[in-house]
Amino acid sequence: MTQKEIHNQRLVNEANARALSHLTRRHFLKESAMGLGALALGALLPGCGIGTSGGAGLDGGIVFDPANPLAPKLPMFPGKAKSVIYLHMAGAPSQLELFDFKPDLMKLDGQDCPDSLLKGKRFAFIRGVPKMLGPQAHFAQRGQSGAWVSDYLPHFSTVVDEVAFLKAVTTDQFNHAPAQLMMHTGTGRLGRPSIGSWVTYGLGSENQNLPGFVVLTSGGYLPDAGKSVWGSGFLPSVYQGVQCRSEGDPVLFIRDPDGMSRDLRKASIDAINEVNKQEYKEYNDPEILSRISQYELAYRMQISVPDVMDINDEPAYIHEMYGTKPGKASFANNVLLARKLVEKGVRFVQLFDWGWDSHGTDPSTSVDMGLIKKCKEVDRAKTALLLDLKQRGLLDETLVVWGGEFGRTPMMENRDGKQNPFKGRDHHVEAFTIWMAGGGIKKGASYGETDEIGYAAISGKTTAFDIQATILNQLGFDHTKFTFPFQGRPFRLTDVAGKVIDDVVA
Amino acid sequence: MRKGWLNDTFISLKSTVSNKKVSMLIASSVVLLAAVIFLATRQDRVDYNTQVKPIFNKKCITCHGGVKRQADFSLLFRAEALAPTKSGKPAIIPGDPDHSEMIRRLTLKDPEERMPYRHDPLSTQEIDILRKWIKEGAPWGDHWAYVPVKETEPPRPHARFFGLLAASKPAWVRNDLDYFIYDGLQKEKLQPAPEADRATLLRRVSMDLDGLPPSPALARQYLAEKDGDKAYERLVDSLLASPHFGEKWASMWLDLARYADTKGYEKDGERPEIWRYRDWLIRAFNADKPYNVFLTEQLAGDLLPAHTDEQMIATGFHRNSLTNDEGGTDNEEFRTAAVLDRVNTTWQALMGTTFACVQCHSHPYDPFKHDEYYNFVAFFNDTRDEDTYDDYPLLREFGKSDSARLLKLSDWLKNKVPDEERAQQMQFLKTWQPSINSNRAEEFVNSALQDTKYLSFRDHGSAKFRQVDLERMDQLIYRYTAGADGGSCTIHLDKIDGPVLQTIHAAKTKNSWEIAAVPLPPTAGVHDLYLTFTNSRLKKPTDEGMQIDWLHFGRSLPGNSRVPGYDSARSIYWDLLVKQIPGIPVMMDNPADMHRVSNVFERGNWLVKGKVVGPDVPHSLNPFPAGAPHNRLGLAEWMTDKRNPLVSRTLVNRLWEQLFGTGLVETLEDMGTQGAVPTHKELIDWLAWKLMNDDGWSVKKCLKGIVLSATYRQDSRVSPELLEKDPYNKLYARGPRVRLSAEEVRDQALTASGLLYDSLYGPPVKPWQPAGIWHSPYNGAQWNTSPGGDQYRRALYTFWKRSAPYPSMIAFDGASREVCTARRIRTNTPLQALVTLNDSAYLETSRHLAFRMMGTEEEKEPGPGGEKGRKQVAANDAHPDKAQVIAKGYELLMYKPIEPSKLAVLEKLYDKAYAQFAGDEYKTCEMVGEPGIHDDPGTAAYVVVAGALLNLDEVVTKN
Repeated sequence: MTQKEIHNQRLVNEANARALSHLTRRHFLKESAMGLGALALGALLPGCGIGTSGGAGLDGGIVFDPANPLAPKLPMFPGKAKSVIYLHMAGAPSQLELFDFKPDLMKLDGQDCPDSLLKGKRFAFIRGVPKMLGPQAHFAQRGQSGAWVSDYLPHFSTVVDEVAFLKAVTTDQFNHAPAQLMMHTGTGRLGRPSIGSWVTYGLGSENQNLPGFVVLTSGGYLPDAGKSVWGSGFLPSVYQGVQCRSEGDPVLFIRDPDGMSRDLRKASIDAINEVNKQEYKEYNDPEILSRISQYELAYRMQISVPDVMDINDEPAYIHEMYGTKPGKASFANNVLLARKLVEKGVRFVQLFDWGWDSHGTDPSTSVDMGLIKKCKEVDRAKTALLLDLKQRGLLDETLVVWGGEFGRTPMMENRDGKQNPFKGRDHHVEAFTIWMAGGGIKKGASYGETDEIGYAAISGKTTAFDIQATILNQLGFDHTKFTFPFQGRPFRLTDVAGKVIDDVVA
Repeated sequence: MRKGWLNDTFISLKSTVSNKKVSMLIASSVVLLAAVIFLATRQDRVDYNTQVKPIFNKKCITCHGGVKRQADFSLLFRAEALAPTKSGKPAIIPGDPDHSEMIRRLTLKDPEERMPYRHDPLSTQEIDILRKWIKEGAPWGDHWAYVPVKETEPPRPHARFFGLLAASKPAWVRNDLDYFIYDGLQKEKLQPAPEADRATLLRRVSMDLDGLPPSPALARQYLAEKDGDKAYERLVDSLLASPHFGEKWASMWLDLARYADTKGYEKDGERPEIWRYRDWLIRAFNADKPYNVFLTEQLAGDLLPAHTDEQMIATGFHRNSLTNDEGGTDNEEFRTAAVLDRVNTTWQALMGTTFACVQCHSHPYDPFKHDEYYNFVAFFNDTRDEDTYDDYPLLREFGKSDSARLLKLSDWLKNKVPDEERAQQMQFLKTWQPSINSNRAEEFVNSALQDTKYLSFRDHGSAKFRQVDLERMDQLIYRYTAGADGGSCTIHLDKIDGPVLQTIHAAKTKNSWEIAAVPLPPTAGVHDLYLTFTNSRLKKPTDEGMQIDWLHFGRSLPGNSRVPGYDSARSIYWDLLVKQIPGIPVMMDNPADMHRVSNVFERGNWLVKGKVVGPDVPHSLNPFPAGAPHNRLGLAEWMTDKRNPLVSRTLVNRLWEQLFGTGLVETLEDMGTQGAVPTHKELIDWLAWKLMNDDGWSVKKCLKGIVLSATYRQDSRVSPELLEKDPYNKLYARGPRVRLSAEEVRDQALTASGLLYDSLYGPPVKPWQPAGIWHSPYNGAQWNTSPGGDQYRRALYTFWKRSAPYPSMIAFDGASREVCTARRIRTNTPLQALVTLNDSAYLETSRHLAFRMMGTEEEKEPGPGGEKGRKQVAANDAHPDKAQVIAKGYELLMYKPIEPSKLAVLEKLYDKAYAQFAGDEYKTCEMVGEPGIHDDPGTAAYVVVAGALLNLDEVVTKN
């Protein structure tokens, strides 16, 4: 380190220490003002900080340091996972063609759906009496665990013993945007923080030169709920997901303007910080120190991000394994990036792949054609991710989650009461499959069952809240105590629900 | 009693002092002693709000409150707390702690019996407090924010020697507000800071009042004037009178109103005319519309007698809720969601109270009951909007000549029809309301609500509309499309094969949607209507024959062609009715025959409807004004009633926060018992009282009072000792120092670079943003940078897409505006640095700031000009002295000379940059950006320096 860098580092440390001491002091003052009872509670939660210059009061033992909001923090208890890769297939893949094998449904193929399955139910597009639609894929039991996986996923079929399936997941939202919000923010309405925001708020980031919560999208579109699914809601905006892109700047505004050399950028940041230091001497406002450190960070980020986002340097066998082609926007490239990001200490990587909405209104949305194509796009890469993480010794500490926002009906869709031209299934809230792997998840497990035609969960029913509770649990958080006070009450990701799914926890 | 005794002593004392000095001394000692005893005893009484309630909230309420009522014991309201519990006995017996079950259970040894159940016991002190409180009669206390605002005297220094010596006004104090701050500082043995220097004050108050740096003329005038005080007040007056004032405060209000230019959720399509509401806000703030009127028009402009179009547009406030256009949605679900959002926004934004929890259960901490939430919902539930794709109801925007024709028609109708009918006709032309939306159809056979938007018939299709009032209606007007000739749609009464009311022969429509009418035979009463459709010319049974958007059962124009003026009136009527013009979403209540019943939702679930409720307000607050209608207008009257404890306090707290960075109650969104403790409770009341009673709800007067105070004018430098003692400036021993808002960061850069195109109002604009931000499914909308000056408009005019908001604004804590944001939490992140360092929009401002510094750009007052106002200067290496150029750049931003040490740093940067560009024509050209125009290394180096200036902490900070 140069003399200047040492000096700057000292300033940063100083800023951090100062901010922390203010937090605790203010916390003490605030609590004591509220009376003796509160004081006693304060003593019970020594790490509990309150306040920022913006003033978020915090809870759940989380210290929010506005000067260094992404500093790594300890969870409530030692978690098995350090980071999460969440693969969301936006549009909702059909569990009936992939994992939930229902031979009885085959027998009913083409028959009218019995009234008992329709009465009092709400569907997005099914109207009147639809026909039943048998599974379109061929299934077999795979691996030691004997998990049923269809021939749509030949690669994934080889790694089922690493995975725990949740086969009776349910939701209460049957439209894409609300259902995606439910999975990621715990409500079907807009405005709450996403799970990645909660996690980076709770744990900070291991790598200060990269964003703590990264989002990658593929399939040509953003997920239906837009950026709200990685929004920070009422948490400070620093915790929202940072979208890394395959076109343009990998992170918005990360590249120096044309004509600005790295060297000159460094010189200009040094000049900015030098003037700011003079300003600090005069005004003594700790916020200035924090700004100085943020500019240092920005500079380092400018180097780290393009570096980590470049997959060209990966060896050929890795490209072969993932099926990646550098320079193209694809799910496979994103999966490989996710591995690189996690390796570098990024806390939460969220992938959205668009195009799984198999209604059967055209070939691309049919469960017997379009769905096969979508599976081909992801099968190799998601399998490679598990194998690659494993060979690097990262799978144990990386939780991988795969799923959609709801399931699909055992009935063939008849949009507006007319038979759809291709084989498709409507949105379905009563059963779908999600799998988890790594990060302390039981290997080769399967939890939950649906009835003989895959219409509804009959045992081991789980919800988005349970999945969120389990993810937080693997990271070392009790979801019932991990709260943020907002509008006068402690808010939780899991609201007033959720239970850790112990059956899939190793 | 005690108080009376003390007063008596005072009186006797007063009579004594005038006589004998000795007795005065004795008497005064007696009084002092008495006062000490009195105060000590008084303080000894347990205070419910500060001592008891916090214990309940933290230790008890989780199980014994709104959500749960274990053993039938609740501590939410006094009546509940004193009522018999499950055991049949009350847990609290006022005056008798020893027989109060609560105290017994708190002190037991058996962990299964002792409370709090399975939690650590209360401390001895806590139990003592509760015991004493019961002994004193277990008095309940109202939370400060829920009692009406009382007139508050500023804490002027006490007259000394019992009034013999008048108190002198502290030299620092400028107005009454300062007494509150001064008093707090005295108690902490702190001194206020001296006044900030003029340049700092100039920039601070400009940013605060107008959200922009001051114009050069204003700055010159202020800085040149001798009498600083007078100059400052004049400056403040100019800023308050500037049209930019409205822009700044509208900008703040847009977060509360969750304003955006799109509808939200998956499709997130454009809401094309909602910007008229934004413009209404700007005008309202500029006109200093009294806040009570301002709120009334936004909440209930449509219900005001003889309301204007502008008052209708004001109701856009609550039409900023989301509309879900995703295919396959249940419109009633999202209509309900929008209604609840209006309720929650009304409370959070306008009354600083969290009401959303009461949606599922009684409030665990504050005095609001579950049912009361739904009483409040009933105010908003009976509106015409139904989550339709077109965002109905809309106020259709007639131009000037059409508005005149409308008036002409209205005049013609006068005396021909009753006034009420005339008004209904006018309303129908302006809004197409009331109409039955096709999403109200049911019992579809060979028909569907296509994409859950429009009723669509195939051959032999049918559908039903429930309970339509046909009394006195002689005409059906409908909006439809038909893909083929030969279709007919028959309307049957009460049964699918019931008597025929009328048949519509639907010819193929030329354009997409058309509006047509059929006469109706006189029919009495309310009927279910069955529509059956046939068209034998449709080729396939699945072909769609006709789509219906809405049906309007109404009255035709009176008379016929023989009546003078009839033909002309009729032609005006139809011209205006079918005219394709945009409309802004507005609020409108259902007519009586479309009245929507409101229910309690059991546990907050809208599908589980409980008992029927009518519109009402929570009983723990001020009573509903006598004689006020039980609709949104009455609600507005209740909210702006001077006895309403929340509305005025919420506003003054918010204004304070805008100026000082933090509210007097830090949690702007919640002044309830779980919100932050106010730093200066009496000051809030003083400001709120003054606003309502002395200043006629004038926002400008309130702001003026605050910015003229000595408190506001303080220097923001802080000593390490003060920082130690008051790190967050809760005591206000220094002036505010806060990072600029997202909008201000942008607006300042545009102003300093001379790029700002400062015209007011109009449709949203699209300044440059990186490619690939907009990628919504099923939405082909593109972000095309606005041409000309429009891309340099103030930030508040930026097109706001909810699912993909303007990225650089989000980086600076801008709100995504999906729901009401009552407070932005400021952060300090590297992503912000990346915006102002690298965003092309900021590179452009750096370039133009550099040109201005170098004097190669015409000096101009900010004004509509954009491209035009710039003088093209040929490349020129003979730049004036760099120190002077850089100093000018600094002054353009900071309005004061640069310190030599700072200048030295920037000169060094210039030298380094110059050295690089001198050898590199290509890089030079890239940095300057305009080939052939001053693309010399000197200019390129100044662009780098200008960029650095725009990134300085003091520049992005309001000091």
